[in-house]
Amino acid sequence: MSVPADLITTAPVPDTAAPFGPFGTAGRVPGWARSLEIVIPGAILAALLFFCFIWPLVYPVPKPIGGSLLTPHLPLWSPGHILGTDIVGDDVMSRILYGGRVSFEVAAAVQVIGLVIGGSLGMAAAYRGGWVEAVLMRILDVFLAFPSLVLVLAIADGLGPSETHVIWALSFFSIPAFARVARAATLRLRDQPFVVASRLSGSRPLTIMFRHLVPNMWPQLLTFSLLGASLTIILEGALDFLGYGIPPPAASWGNMIASGQQLISVYPSFVVVPSVFLLVTAICLNVLGDGLRARWGTR
Amino acid sequence: MAAAAAEGAPASVQLGPSPLLEVSDLRVTFRTRAASIHAVQGISFSVEPGQTLAIIGESGSGKTVSAQAVMGILPRTATVSGSIRFKGDELVGRSEHELRDYRGRNVAMVFQNPERSLNPTMRIGTQIAEAILSHLKVDRKEAHERAVELLRMVRLQAPERRFYEYPHQLSGGMRQRVMIAIALACGPALLIADEATTALDVTTQAQIMDLLMDLQQQTGTALLMISHDLGLAASYAEEVIVMYAGKVVEQAPTKELFADVRMPYTQALLDAIPRIETEPHVLLPVIGGRPPDLAVIPSGCSFAPRCPAVQDDCREQAPPLRQHEPGRWWACWHPYRKGAPE
Repeated sequence: MSVPADLITTAPVPDTAAPFGPFGTAGRVPGWARSLEIVIPGAILAALLFFCFIWPLVYPVPKPIGGSLLTPHLPLWSPGHILGTDIVGDDVMSRILYGGRVSFEVAAAVQVIGLVIGGSLGMAAAYRGGWVEAVLMRILDVFLAFPSLVLVLAIADGLGPSETHVIWALSFFSIPAFARVARAATLRLRDQPFVVASRLSGSRPLTIMFRHLVPNMWPQLLTFSLLGASLTIILEGALDFLGYGIPPPAASWGNMIASGQQLISVYPSFVVVPSVFLLVTAICLNVLGDGLRARWGTR
Repeated sequence: MAAAAAEGAPASVQLGPSPLLEVSDLRVTFRTRAASIHAVQGISFSVEPGQTLAIIGESGSGKTVSAQAVMGILPRTATVSGSIRFKGDELVGRSEHELRDYRGRNVAMVFQNPERSLNPTMRIGTQIAEAILSHLKVDRKEAHERAVELLRMVRLQAPERRFYEYPHQLSGGMRQRVMIAIALACGPALLIADEATTALDVTTQAQIMDLLMDLQQQTGTALLMISHDLGLAASYAEEVIVMYAGKVVEQAPTKELFADVRMPYTQALLDAIPRIETEPHVLLPVIGGRPPDLAVIPSGCSFAPRCPAVQDDCREQAPPLRQHEPGRWWACWHPYRKGAPE
């Protein structure tokens, strides 16, 4: 029996897979609201970064330490001291700005360390697979299984109080966290046809990782690092508050809250002012991270 | 009756002295926690230089797994036995490192899904250049020129401009052309097209197939088509292998196969195709039952439970794949006779 070949065809199979990467599908939130979700926290964070890092260079901000003991606990909006002075006469605004520097530096450093070390470990482990992946991920799970603050306190206590030590202590969290995210992303991407195709055309593993895997997991890692940064800032504040962080008299939001809480009934602003800055920063980082995540369609 | 394995590779017996690709008694087993899945159960075939061979079969018949075995890209859970020889070199048991050089330069593959076969974050030209740079000793400028030339070869309009575009700026058919350009970047001797046109609409499908045929003429590349589409195989392949449940059940030159089907499974596949002379709103004949569980190797013919021409001996012993007429192979105890299937 013969079949005329030209009569035999199949229907095309529609590709129902959702696009991934920065052009994901929109959610239910209207467009303008989604851009506000990014623009507002982005602008607040940009302003905070500007005032913490650049403003003191171009404007004669009072020194954060060594203020005049003759003018202690000035109220808010005092001339020359917009947020008043603390119990030893240091300018609160200036301490907020210099303390903010610490917070942002620690947050950025911890995220970068986590991204570079943890991200590479997770990606390499998942790409390599087998026992290497199993062993590495179990080791990292051990770190993640510890209650975060307890482990950080133990490490910070062991290393002694200083900004660098705070960074290393907090990195013990960001490294395994980033490793897990990078591993999950790698597992998702590893068997994508374009990665297999690159392997088939003879690319080396390093080429594949840095040209194909990293650019495709980048949005996910970036949003994750923003959320991580907000957590880092809070943990760093907690460390300072508990006296394992930035040693006074150097300024940090955490140690400002710690020293202010003894006088909270008399001068509530000593606690409220740094707390507000801490809160606003953490919220902005979270909202920005979520907004970018929604926009880029990453999980 | 002789055992199936002793019959060896069909094509290597019948054809010229040096096949390009020679697969003999290939077996692929996936070990899972519950069972071992025998995805490919001892298949043999060979591809001559410049030949077009189609492997057809339904989902799960082992056609894609066979192609993946040839490329050496099976998942880690797979165990491969048998032999895959490319230009006489044995590939089974080679390390990933050793295979890297063999791929691309000798064998390349075009995938089913053009949406996901290109990296969405890289310009298409860069992706082609990457394939060139990983094998040929050329500098970036030469790679760029060669990439543009390849884009022109796969008939993309304005290749110099396309070089700088991203995959999302291209249509499905254009992307598949880019995939073909990447596959041909290093001048492979064998191109495997795994359902390469399945995701495209019918007109684009024909354009892509015509392009592949033209390029094959120009470059002399052998083409191994993996498809579930009998029509495609009938129109473009010189020889067709029909797979069912991990085994080859029929192999013949295309014209002879479609003129005169012997294996009841192939016939059932052909009957299930809608045809223009069929009355509208008439139910299409379907193959009753389901494909067998590949975790269990049945004692008889694996198609026996669904076969319209089944007899008692089919359930007792599996028929071997044997050459019954020159160039015609089938695995069936009770094949349809010439010219009169039903």
